[in-house]
Parts: sequence; C-alpha cells; structure tokens
Amino acid sequence: MPSATAIKVLIVDDQNSVRQMTRMTLEELGFRVIHEAENGVQAMETASIQPLDLIISDYNMPEMDGLGLLRAVRGHPAARKVPFILLTGRGDRELVVKAAQAGVNNYLVKPFTADILRGKIEQVIGKLT
Amino acid sequence: MASLDDLKKTFFDECDEAMQQIELGLTDIRSGQSSDETINAVFRGVHSVKGGAGIFGFEQLVGFAHVFETVLDGLRNGSLTATPENLDVLLLASDVLTDLVSMSRSGQAAAPDFGAECRAGLEQIIEQGGGGGEGDGPAPAEFDGLDFVPVCVNMDEDEAPADSAADAGDGFNHYAITFRPKPEMLKKANEPLYVLRELRKLGELDLVCETDVLPVLSELEADYPYFWWKATLRTSSPRAMVDEVFEFVVGDCDLDIIDQTPAAPAQIAPEVAAPEIAAQQPSTAVADSPQPVVAAPPLVPSAPAVVAKPAAPIAAATEAAEAGGRTKPAATTTRIELERIDRVVNMVGELVISQAMLGQIVQDMPEGVAGRLTQILEEVVHHTRELKDSVMSMRAQPVGSVFQRMPRLVRELATKTHKKVRLEMAGETTEVDRSIIERLGDPLTHIIRNSVDHGIETPAVRAAAGKNEEGVVRLSAEHRGGRIVIEIRDDGAGINAERVLKIAKEKGLVGPDVQLSDDEIGNLIMLPGFSTAETVSDISGRGVGMDVVRSNIQDLGGRISLKSVRGRGMTITLALPLTLAVMDGMVIKVGQQTYVMPLSAIVECLRPQANEISNLIGTHGMLQLRGEFVPIVLLSNLLDINSPASMSGERVVIITDAGEGSRFGLVVDELLGHQQVVIKSIEESYGAVPGIAAATILGNGRVAFILDVEKLSDMAVNSPIGNAITMKAASPALN
Repeated sequence: MPSATAIKVLIVDDQNSVRQMTRMTLEELGFRVIHEAENGVQAMETASIQPLDLIISDYNMPEMDGLGLLRAVRGHPAARKVPFILLTGRGDRELVVKAAQAGVNNYLVKPFTADILRGKIEQVIGKLT
Repeated sequence: MASLDDLKKTFFDECDEAMQQIELGLTDIRSGQSSDETINAVFRGVHSVKGGAGIFGFEQLVGFAHVFETVLDGLRNGSLTATPENLDVLLLASDVLTDLVSMSRSGQAAAPDFGAECRAGLEQIIEQGGGGGEGDGPAPAEFDGLDFVPVCVNMDEDEAPADSAADAGDGFNHYAITFRPKPEMLKKANEPLYVLRELRKLGELDLVCETDVLPVLSELEADYPYFWWKATLRTSSPRAMVDEVFEFVVGDCDLDIIDQTPAAPAQIAPEVAAPEIAAQQPSTAVADSPQPVVAAPPLVPSAPAVVAKPAAPIAAATEAAEAGGRTKPAATTTRIELERIDRVVNMVGELVISQAMLGQIVQDMPEGVAGRLTQILEEVVHHTRELKDSVMSMRAQPVGSVFQRMPRLVRELATKTHKKVRLEMAGETTEVDRSIIERLGDPLTHIIRNSVDHGIETPAVRAAAGKNEEGVVRLSAEHRGGRIVIEIRDDGAGINAERVLKIAKEKGLVGPDVQLSDDEIGNLIMLPGFSTAETVSDISGRGVGMDVVRSNIQDLGGRISLKSVRGRGMTITLALPLTLAVMDGMVIKVGQQTYVMPLSAIVECLRPQANEISNLIGTHGMLQLRGEFVPIVLLSNLLDINSPASMSGERVVIITDAGEGSRFGLVVDELLGHQQVVIKSIEESYGAVPGIAAATILGNGRVAFILDVEKLSDMAVNSPIGNAITMKAASPALN
C-alpha cells in the first residue's frame, strides 16, 4: 500500500489558483512531495528531471494541453509509466474517450472534493496509507 | 500555506486577466484582426473562469461561463460561425461575465435571472449549430454512460525487463548510443553538439548528458571535453545513417552504438490494465505503449545528470507555436504588493530630500573643500534620479487598464441611444503612474459618455449629413514632452456654438456682449454650472458636468483642452504628468517666502526692461514680449505677501502656461534654482489653500509650498482688478 507522504505528485494547470487549490487538497490527503507546472511543456521538463509517481493535469492549457502532455509522457522513456489523472470539465465526455485511448489512468471532473480526489487516486495507485 | 481567501484573491486576479483576454480577443475578431489562436485564447479565458469558479463554488458564474464556453467551442471547431450578430451577443456575454465575476468577488448575490437575456441569446446561437448536445444544468461528476475503467498501476513494480519483449515492433529501429568525445575531437574543431544535432534529425532522440567527470572549477581546463552523452534513438533510418553522423569524429571519441531493435515484430502484448472503452475500438496506444528499453536507463534521477530537454514533445510544441505565428517569450514577471513599491517610492522621496540637504551644505562650503565632494554629489544626484525613474516605472501601468472599460461603455451607450458607434483605441500600452490611472477612469468615462450621447448623431442624421452611419470615437494615448497626452476624438456634430453661447449668457457666465471664437465657446462648457444637454438624459447630464472633469484633471496636475469643429466633431485633449510623487520644480523667492513652481508650467523666465512693461492698474500690468502682450501679475499680491517687488524696478517675470495657449506672467523677486522635489499633500492635514497645490521639503529642511499655477491664473482673473485683464488673455477656461 503506497503511503501518500512518499508519493511524488506533479500538478499541471495554467491557473495558479486551481494549482494551489489542488495542492491544498492533496496536502489534506497527506501528500507532501508536490511539484507544479503551468503547462504541458513545463510539465515535460519536470518529468524529465524528476522521478514522479503521479501526474494530475488539467486539459485546457496554452502551449501544450493535457492530452498533448499525456501523449508526450507516454512517449517518454523515463516517464511513460507514470500514472496520469486528467482533470476535465463537466461535459468533456469525448475528451475522456480520447484520453483513454492515449493511455490515461483516470479522469477527474472539476470541481472536486478531497474525498473524490482520494477516490480517483486510489483507483489508480491503490489504497493510500 | 495560503488560505482559501488568498486563493480566491488569486483566482479573481486571474479572472481579471482572463476577462481582458476575452474582451480583447472578441474585439479583434470583430474587427477582423484575429488568427486561429485568438478564438482559442478567448475560449481558454472563459474556461479558466469557469474552472476556477467551479472549484471555489461560484455556481452562477459556472453556469453562465459554461453556456458561453459552449458557443466559443462551437466557433473553435467550426460548427458555428462568427457573424457580427453572434459577436455582439458574445461581447455582451463577456460584459455579463465581468459583472458576475465582480459580484462574486464582492460577495454580492446576483439576481437568479441575472444575464438571463444574454444567456438566452447564447443558447439561441447554440441552436444554430444544431444544439450543443450537452444540456445545461449541472452535469454529473461522473460520465455515467461512459464505460471507463480506471487503470491501476502497481507502485512497487520496477521497470519490468519482461516488457522489452513487447517493446518496439513499431517498425522503427532502436539504438542505444554512448558518445564520449576525446580531447582530440575539440582540437580538430569538431563540435559534439553539432553531431548530436545531426543525430536528432534522424528521429526521436532521448539524450542524457553525463557530467560525472566534471572537475571543480579551479581544475577545469577550458579545452577538455568533460561531458559525455547517453542516448536512445528511435528512427526509421538504417544503422548506416547513424554511423554516418559520427563519420568525422569516430576516431576521436569513444562511441558505442547498440542496436536494440527486436529481431521480429513483437505481437502486441495483452494489456490487462488497458482502459476499456465501449464503442471504441481497442487501442494499441495504451498506458504501457511500446518503447525501447535501454540497457542503461536513460533517466537516472539520482545522478547529477544534466538532462537535455525531451526532444520530441517540446520540439513539436515549439514548432506548433511558431507555426501559429505567435511565439510568446516566457513571462519573467513577478507580482509585488503595491504597498511594498509605495514604500520604496517614499524612501526615494526621502532620499531626494536628504540629497538636497547635502547639496545645500556642500554649496555653503568654501570652494577648495567642496571640489571633490561636489563631484561625488553630482553622481549621487544622477543615481537618485535613475533610482527614482526605475521605481516610478515599477508603479507605471499601461493606460490600457482604464481604456479596457471603455469598449463596453460605448457598446452600452450606443444600444441605449440607438446610435451606431465604433470605438477605436490606440496607445493602450502607454505607461503612466498608477495613482493617475486610478483617477483617470471617471473623467474618461464622462468624456466618452458625452461624446456618444451628445456628440455622435443618430444614424439617420448622420446619413442626411453625408456621413457614415457609424460614428467613430477614438481614444488614444501617447507620451509627449514628459507628459502623457490622452485624446478623445469623435466625428459627431461638434459643439453647437450658438446654443452654448446663448446658455452661457443666460446663466451669466459671460457678459452679454462678449465676442468669442468657437474654441473659446467650446471651453465654456467646462465652466462650473454649465450643462448643455437640452434634455437631461439618462446617460449624461446627471448634474456632473465638464467642470468636474476639468477639476479632476487639474487635481492630477493636468490640463484639459477642447477643440470643436461644427458638424465634424470634437477633440478633447488631456495632458497629464507621468507621476504624482516627485516632480521637477523651480524654486522661487517672493519677499521672505520660498515657493516651488512646477517646471512643466513654466514657459520661460526673463528679466524685462522697464520700457517693456506697461502698468495698467495697481498690481496688474502688461508685458510686451516679442511683439505680443502678456498680462502680468505680482505673485506677492496674489498670495498677499509683503514684498519689495513692484511692477517697476528689478524683477523676474516667469511666463507660465496656465492652460492651452493662455499665458501670463508672474512677477517674483528671485529665482533660486531648479530642483527635484517630493510632493507632500497638505490637503489631508490642512485643507485646500487657494493657489497652493502641495508642499515639499527643501534642502535646508524647510517646508516650501508648491504653487498651483492654474488656480493662480483663475485668482488673477477673479481678483477685482484682475477683471480688467481681458478674459481671453488670462483665463484658461475661455481660451
């Protein structure tokens, strides 16, 4: 069972407020190692130099969107296995289908509560301790 | 850790930026200046507002943004077209969204049907595109019908070597390359990076630069190749092509190229954990998509390896951005609380004063002693000025932040008055101190309201006059001579001179027989107690007239002037100082008193001959200046000071520019010199004093008052004897 404190998470969102909010929620769940990136390009830079255990990424971002990031991650030798949770808006059903094809591990509809986030994470990496 | 309130504040700041982006984008689209990226940017703006609003629980905002976003998405994917009618609705929607944001920010509850009309308009557009599919109303957090199974991974699992069997089989060749240049290579002027660049051209290259042999700086030899690389290459090119890249350097480096391409195309390994999507064909590109597993894992995070940027994705993104024609340089900005900057501004102010005091002391020193000190002090003065300018530039904001409110204003006014009006803006990036920006909004709003309400005619009237039915209001800003000049020009009817003059006479603002030019008549509307609107409309004429605008601008140390051409339109020009904190002043002496006069108000200083001055009555006179007559007045008289100076005898006349083109001379005893002064308000602690704008502290530590030149000119006119001076010459309002 993975311990939340040891899991290295990367939050990707172009909106600072959303990033901070996600960070707060993750901290509530016991996560301690939290990286941030503003877009897909930055996220790839981080993923190339940091070992990561989980990426939580928004979809709509300038430079490289969430789907682009997912594909880039899956195509990167070092990061390709990192679990990926895509944040979507309500009604982004087709996006989830595309993301699933690109190898997303889970999706999470915004807005979300800490409990929903925990549930979505646990579906991917197992029960948190 | 940031509190929720802090985060909300961050969110609303982001909203402001997003709203600006939306408004700007939509305006660009409407004026036909848009690219593909424009609509994307607008979409992202609305999406950001929606996303954040959802997280912070602003339901109404989410609901509206959602419908708005749906329309934009339709425009983006081409299912809807950006007709002018649709764009009008979108612009209106951006206004509604702005309102909803500001209501959410102030914690004010919007009426449940707020923006309902606009929302209906948006929904109507969605209908055009065959209905967006998604109904409104809160969608569930899960997509119920979607057969999505989350993909679980085992966190403890290491890189499974077994995977390599499933790897590749994608028709590409995979090579693991180790490339270690020897010193000879550099000596032969071969550049390893060029080699790597060539290699990258062959396909997807993953590169890790190893720095393990890099010595400490003191032992570093400039011409020794310390770096070496491990790479994995996925390419369609044969081995020979790879070898060719290294052809010229192969003898001068340690090179190891291992072919890792699987011998036979591997069958696709059963992916137990693959997401299953009903109604979609099973995908081959799933979580563990085939990738080369390299003998040496390319990514060793624990080692102090410098990792080249991941080639493919970033290169692709960059190319895409370049293809879009708009590469944005990475933003290197930081947000600083204004209070902190203000503190620095205050400190610079104090520094200016201390420096002036120092200057005073140095000046009083005997020549020989002061020599070197004077030199150093000059440098200090220079640096202080630069410091001041840098700090001021930090406080500076583009006037665009005020301008951006105007398109909406014009749109709303045009709708209300049933006129067609286009707003053109120029020079939005012109920067000015934020204290001025803050106080510029009301006057500008008022002037533009006037332009649309009174200036621009109805389409029918315009057509009859042979003009384009659509009126144009042009708002522009530029730096001119150390000031910022803002111009509001419309192509409306201009000022009805006869009517204005008639009203002014009726109200006793001018004498019954006075003869005035059109420009002079135009300026009458800025007199207190004047309102031209025949009917007090809902838009302007709320009793706040141009006189308030004028005094607002004057409070900012600015000037306002007006030019009107009957039937062709009107131009109002505002000239404002760039900052309110520090200014260049001329220190003058009258009797025992020292004053500071803003340098910007001084046209010239001179010591006239006695025969150039004609005494009119008592303290007022006329100065003959290069063939022109300029009224002059004793400053001591205006300020009620005992002074030996009189119209005759040794005196200095400062010619000031009190308003547009209206000049008058102030007689003072002595000029003490030019100096930068820090403006300290006296109104807060003392109240307004006629003729005095503010105070400052001089080098000798004493307080001196800063003169309000425009007020002095008014005083000169309104003093009993002053009326003898013709109005044309002395009053800024009437010239």
